[in-house]
Amino acid sequence: MNSPHPIQISNLDFSYGAVHVLEEASLTIAEKEFVCMVGPNGGGKTTLLKLMLGLLEPQTGTVSIFGKSPIAGRKWIGYLPQHANLDARFPVTALDVVLMGRLGKTRAFGPYTRADRTAAHDMLNRVGLDKLEKRPLATLSGGQRQRVLIARALVSEPRLLLLDEPTASLDDYVERELYDLLLELNKELTVVVVTHDIGFVSSYVDKVVCVNRKVRIHPTSEIDENIIHDMYGEHIHMVRHDQEHRHG
Amino acid sequence: MAEFFQALLRHSFLQHALLAGLLASLSCGIVGTYVVTRRITYLAGGIAHCVLGGMGFARYMQVVHGWAFLDPLLGAVLAALAAAIVIGWINIHARERIDTVISAFWGMGMATGILFISKTPGYGEDMMAYLFGNILLVTRHDLFFIGGLDLFIAAIALLFHKQFVAVCFDEEFARLRGIHAKLFYFLMLAITALTVVLLVSIVGIVMVIVLLTLPAAIAGRFCQRMGSMMALATVICAGLTSTGLALSYKPELPAGAVIIVLAGLVYLVTVILKRT
Repeated sequence: MNSPHPIQISNLDFSYGAVHVLEEASLTIAEKEFVCMVGPNGGGKTTLLKLMLGLLEPQTGTVSIFGKSPIAGRKWIGYLPQHANLDARFPVTALDVVLMGRLGKTRAFGPYTRADRTAAHDMLNRVGLDKLEKRPLATLSGGQRQRVLIARALVSEPRLLLLDEPTASLDDYVERELYDLLLELNKELTVVVVTHDIGFVSSYVDKVVCVNRKVRIHPTSEIDENIIHDMYGEHIHMVRHDQEHRHG
Repeated sequence: MAEFFQALLRHSFLQHALLAGLLASLSCGIVGTYVVTRRITYLAGGIAHCVLGGMGFARYMQVVHGWAFLDPLLGAVLAALAAAIVIGWINIHARERIDTVISAFWGMGMATGILFISKTPGYGEDMMAYLFGNILLVTRHDLFFIGGLDLFIAAIALLFHKQFVAVCFDEEFARLRGIHAKLFYFLMLAITALTVVLLVSIVGIVMVIVLLTLPAAIAGRFCQRMGSMMALATVICAGLTSTGLALSYKPELPAGAVIIVLAGLVYLVTVILKRT
């Protein structure tokens, strides 16, 4: 028998009170896929992520994460929340932030263990920030902070990575670096990225999931102006990218 | 100053006062850092003012109904913990504007205390001590109480520091990592409530929030990690209470008020000199 999919959502409805956010959403994401979730603001992208994480419960339908309930399965998920929610002046170093990803894996009482520190250090190394591990979060640039948070998501050794708008407020060059890193990580784990910026991302991903009350799935090759027009309305500028960053 | 040190050798009440300030500084530095970084200063203020209700009730029951066991300090502990649980619960579950809720508790706690004290014969002067503190009245018994609470708070913080930091920094992420975020939030409010009670005996209910938050706020301007912020806040708090006590002695000023003015001045100076 095949192992269960990282994400399997079927016939899901979700509403906040009388406001329907998602209707009859079904979605399967397979092992080691690189998936991009797009859609207008308020279309339900973040809600869908929160359903996957078990932070919200659907009114009808099911969500399973590696065959388990989201609450049981969330330990396999590395999660990058939207950056804007954090206090950048909070007194922590880069290493301190990454260590928080070891919670749930480390011991319950007392400080983090040596093994936690080693893992956090290695992960900062992986995202290219090992020399900055003692730097306060407040002194890091937006792109460096985002890498710290990605390292925090990765240090729990997840099998599925969920990233909510990882490139918001980053400039293009940093954004490209970030996606190259994700592509590298995608060799080992499943990656789901929520973004506004479909034009750029479509050159990286296997599958695009459009979320606008309904959930529609498109292979990347299908992405054209008609679909985007369908999802966003007419005021969209599309920029074509070449395919040089696709999987080798 | 010299007179203070001479008096310190002679009078045990001054030794108690100094020791009380030093002991309370440990909790103040640790918990103040959580309060400042988690931005729950106003919530801590609400808890502090509910303490008057507990102290007033306890004093009333002691004097009028002869419940000797119900020390005002015990009343303060119970009221502070109850306030922390109720305000914390409303903050998490009810869809109310939290500042309005806190204000309501703030006022009701004070009012309840005033009502009980007004019905307690001959103890009007208690109210002054509760509201504005009287560090010179700290007894040997109080010192054991403060020391015990201190150890308890420090032990909790030492055991669960990493969880508290994670919950302060990013509560949702902590929850996703399997941390019982609500439990640690309430535990944090509980040690905040206990620290408030400790500091009330030094500076009183009205000014306690300043002593709880300003040492941590000052330390925060110089520290980049929670641990060092706590250590520096403890040292600053100890320095402020000791210096305030010493300065107040000769001119016979209320020590609590001198400590608070001193804290405020140091804070303002660091804000002006070290803009971050």
